[in-house]
Amino acid sequence: MGHRLFRFSPPAWLNSPNTRTAGVYVSGGLFSIGFFVLLNAAIFSHAKYRGECKVTFVDWIPAICSSLGMLVINSIEKSRLSADSYSYSGTGVAWKARVVLFLGFALMAGGLAGSVTILVLKYIRPGVPFPPLGFGISDVVSNVLVMLSSVVLWVSQNLENEYSYNLTL
Amino acid sequence: MAGIRSIIALSSILACGFLLVILSCALDNNYLPLTVVATFILAPAPNWICGRCSNPDDFMETSGSAIVDFGRWFTGFLVVMGIALPLVFNYSGIISTQATVMSIIGGLLIYGTVVSFTMFFSQTEEEF
Repeated sequence: MGHRLFRFSPPAWLNSPNTRTAGVYVSGGLFSIGFFVLLNAAIFSHAKYRGECKVTFVDWIPAICSSLGMLVINSIEKSRLSADSYSYSGTGVAWKARVVLFLGFALMAGGLAGSVTILVLKYIRPGVPFPPLGFGISDVVSNVLVMLSSVVLWVSQNLENEYSYNLTL
Repeated sequence: MAGIRSIIALSSILACGFLLVILSCALDNNYLPLTVVATFILAPAPNWICGRCSNPDDFMETSGSAIVDFGRWFTGFLVVMGIALPLVFNYSGIISTQATVMSIIGGLLIYGTVVSFTMFFSQTEEEF
């Protein structure tokens, strides 16, 4: 491998297809944990908690934004991101792919920022005590987990590219 | 003979799993933990379906592996969902703690049976 970017070479187990498969499974599990942390807060606030500050649709909006961002980011064909260096691709394919990727990252970062906004504006600033404060914290945790899941999925799909590259040459 | 013995062992483990889940439902007369059974039985289904949809011949085409990846992702989602659902119910006080523990253990036994059964059968198919 003469065209490496970093000086440390990745360990050998990182390039195996088993690691890639495990990464995809772990990504699904992380997304599931994130979703159920939020669902837990919603169910708890409507089933057990008797008070003013309940989980409404507003609390779900950041998670929906993050999930849409994850969908957009991972729908992109990764090989098109560097397509300008190849002559057989059409005009501006890499540019379009980067715009869509930027939209995905903006959706995801917007989701995380929105969850922090809701935590501050709805829960911390009015000074609510702990059981409803946990709803806002679980909102942030859920968005962080969706982001983490997306990172794991992205990295493991890039590992697949490396693997097939090694296989063909 | 080894095949028959492992089939008997797997089916008894499956029966133990169903016993635990149904006991966790019937002790409190609250049949929400049965959703765990549905989740864990549905969990390998996306993997199978997407594995059939993909074409294994053209492994250079990345669109073939995308749907396999989606199946794996969804399977991971469903497996964690089967563990998380009783915990969520328990946290909100809908089901009791013993029902939570029993339904999680029973669901994991059912899922382990399904997965090991699939591996067993795919190995015997490769031999022929």
